[in-house]
Amino acid sequence: MIKNIFIEIGLISRFTGRFFREAFKPRFEFSEFLRQCYYIGNKSLPLVAITAFIMGLVITIQSRPTLVEFGAQAWLPKMVSVSLVREIAPVITALICAGKIGSGIGAELGSMKVTEQIDAMDVSGTNPYKFLVVTRVMSTTLMIPILAILADAVSLYGGYLGANIRGVVSWDLYWNQVFDTLVFGDVVPSIIKTFFFGFAIGIIGCYKGFNSNKGTEGVGQSANSAVVVSSLLVFIIDLLAVQITDILNLN
Amino acid sequence: MNPQTTKSTTTIDATDTSAVIQVRDLHKAFGDNQVLNGFNFDLKRGENVVVLGKSGSGKSVLIKCIIGLMQVDKGMINVLGNEVPKLNTTDLDKMRAKVGFLFQSNALYDSMTVHENLEFPLRRHWIKTSKEEVNDLVMEVLTNVGLPHTVDMMPSELSGGMRKRIALARTLILKPDIILYDEPTTGLDPITGKEISNLMVDIQKKYNTSSVIISHDLNCVKIVANRVVMLIDGICYATGTYEELEKSTDKKVKQFFE
Repeated sequence: MIKNIFIEIGLISRFTGRFFREAFKPRFEFSEFLRQCYYIGNKSLPLVAITAFIMGLVITIQSRPTLVEFGAQAWLPKMVSVSLVREIAPVITALICAGKIGSGIGAELGSMKVTEQIDAMDVSGTNPYKFLVVTRVMSTTLMIPILAILADAVSLYGGYLGANIRGVVSWDLYWNQVFDTLVFGDVVPSIIKTFFFGFAIGIIGCYKGFNSNKGTEGVGQSANSAVVVSSLLVFIIDLLAVQITDILNLN
Repeated sequence: MNPQTTKSTTTIDATDTSAVIQVRDLHKAFGDNQVLNGFNFDLKRGENVVVLGKSGSGKSVLIKCIIGLMQVDKGMINVLGNEVPKLNTTDLDKMRAKVGFLFQSNALYDSMTVHENLEFPLRRHWIKTSKEEVNDLVMEVLTNVGLPHTVDMMPSELSGGMRKRIALARTLILKPDIILYDEPTTGLDPITGKEISNLMVDIQKKYNTSSVIISHDLNCVKIVANRVVMLIDGICYATGTYEELEKSTDKKVKQFFE
């Protein structure tokens, strides 16, 4: 069991190493990269936005009673904005994308593998790794931070509505408090870690799909394990990120 | 006719320009399973050769080694003057532009229309043609396979026989010198199978191609084969025309024609 885990880690590392060897050499698959950006970014936006909005609303509603108990309800926008921007919005976005995009990539490449479409691409003079893997990994690495920034904005708006359900906070006061509270140490590390989330989701989805076998059963397994492994990696990266920001005194 | 086994030798006669594919002493194993065990074979220009053998005998492995999709363990493959196992990626791509491969599962790209499927190899092999020329080429090959009306359809909207024709059209669009067919009639009804077999013969005449056809469908073999090679026990066990092999008294050969 442990041996298999180490073998898997080794294979994923080798697959990732190949990404860095292939990504910066021509020919560049720019149109496929844009297509993937559209698919990954645009098509995931509604789901990410709805989830972020609900999270912002819920966190605000649930935090309010505790703050009221201590007479600190005026701190509600400050507390909510820090927790949403630093942690909740990026992690929720990454998890939603691990589920939607990671499983999609795993299933798509897995089915291409078992139906010989990847071999057909090879025969057609196309490097399938470059065309399928590099473009998808680059798209997830670029689009997930953008989605996370949008999720930050939408969740903060959800927080504003949540703050106004039981109390009254004006639009200007809420946003003034939010922007007074947030500093570079809150925003920048949280955006940087989303690049790593995106990379992990893309590379795991592609690895699982590219190495799919056993026919249709294997396609299902690829999609499933892409979600499980990339979600786990999101939490591991988050844990590492908080340690690093702590060392750098950014917490 | 007696079985004709060929000698194991790794030498390739470079002066023999009539042979477009030469395979010498080819070995390929998967773990303990020795699939090809010193296979020798020549494909002459303009010839249709059928490789006949049982399921799992290594027929598909043979053509995947020829196109460079699988690495050989030992032996030499020469395709149009290129020694395939020694080619780098760029040269392999150049060689592949001259060799079409029809996959058993057709391998049409699900997410692309028929037009995009056919356009893909043209764009990938850096054949720089204008949009009009690409459209003309697409319509030409679609007309040659009898399906010009499917140009904007998705592969999921096509029947099994139509997908096979589109896959053949995608192979033809680069006007290859050689076509490798991996079980082209498997999964098709006898009538459609016969249509595809006749189409393969038409294609050979029209495009002046040489072909290696992997099959165990005797109706297809009878229609398309100029010569039949029997792949048994990992070697070229016997070779001859369909009629010659049909009359063979050798037990292993005879069982295919009973």
